[in-house]
Amino acid sequence: MFDIFNETSFLHTIITIGSFIIFGIAIVGVLTRKNLFKIFLSLSIAEASLFLYFIGNHFEVSKIAPIANIAGDNITTFSSSMADPVPQAMILTTIVIAIAILALGLTFVTSYYKLTNNIDIDKMDELKEVKS
Amino acid sequence: MNLKKEIKLHTIISSLLISFMIVTLLGILLNFNHSSSSLGMELLAINETQTQSANAVTSVVTYFRGLDTLGEVTILFLSVFGISYAIGDAKSKLNIFKDENQLLQIGVKILFPIIILFGIYIVLNGHLSPGGGFQGGVIIASAFLLKFLAYGENIKINHKIISLLESFSAAGFILTGVLGVLVMDRFFGNFLPLGKMGDFFSAGIIPLIYIFVGLKVASEITALAEYFIKVKDV
Repeated sequence: MFDIFNETSFLHTIITIGSFIIFGIAIVGVLTRKNLFKIFLSLSIAEASLFLYFIGNHFEVSKIAPIANIAGDNITTFSSSMADPVPQAMILTTIVIAIAILALGLTFVTSYYKLTNNIDIDKMDELKEVKS
Repeated sequence: MNLKKEIKLHTIISSLLISFMIVTLLGILLNFNHSSSSLGMELLAINETQTQSANAVTSVVTYFRGLDTLGEVTILFLSVFGISYAIGDAKSKLNIFKDENQLLQIGVKILFPIIILFGIYIVLNGHLSPGGGFQGGVIIASAFLLKFLAYGENIKINHKIISLLESFSAAGFILTGVLGVLVMDRFFGNFLPLGKMGDFFSAGIIPLIYIFVGLKVASEITALAEYFIKVKDV
């Protein structure tokens, strides 16, 4: 009954649709929220959906983690039955950069709040042109 | 009345456009097939002769894409630098967690050395098992975050030691790459003996690079946590 869940193409479809829905949630959050913190939270949700899509689309059924096991009971060596290590390494890079950028953005939000006592984007009018 | 109709037309057109874009994008994404013969398979094939690292992800991160990791660490450093510039000196700020929880304080006394030891284990075994410099560094920083939460104002982090560790690890990282140019043929060339796969002292410069990355990530995330906890003006 659950054999279909063990097919790579079916899982890819599910992961694609799911990460697309999460990305849609993030875009709606960015466009409709007024609070700056919630906008940055939505951006990090969008990043999470990208990670999920990238890792999930390189997942294949019956492939093992790319770590060779020399000693012990179940010995594994490097072969084509292992998962692709390059997407995992790239996502590791991307996660660190996402953390760095999120922290920098939140710092700017706190500095802006200290300057103006305001985090509502509708009330941001410091750079507005003064009509004479 | 007329205005209301116009707004409705706009809404219908934009929703039609959005649904068309969603359908097109989903169609493109669902028809995407990646070929089975990829770069990763070739790297897996040469991994055993080139690095002798048991963890292929580690060898991709630090050896085959070492320059990329250098850029990533630089971005992390620039981010922390920008944060320290924007928030200001953390010494003259108050901790926002004021309540002193007795349970948390006693728990931190027991857990702090264990978490530090676990982080060091993860960093040092990055070429043998899942983990590595980034993961272990974040674990070490989480121990300091626990201390910030438990002790409030009473915990003082020596900023000189943190900046010294940060600069030392960055300099060591770049020095390893330059030594690769001088001794071997390229930046991040492997100038140490490879050893036997699965041993602790194996995989050439990979454990060395991950120790530097772990030190750098641990000190930077600790500084980040302190900047974000001490945001209240005196």
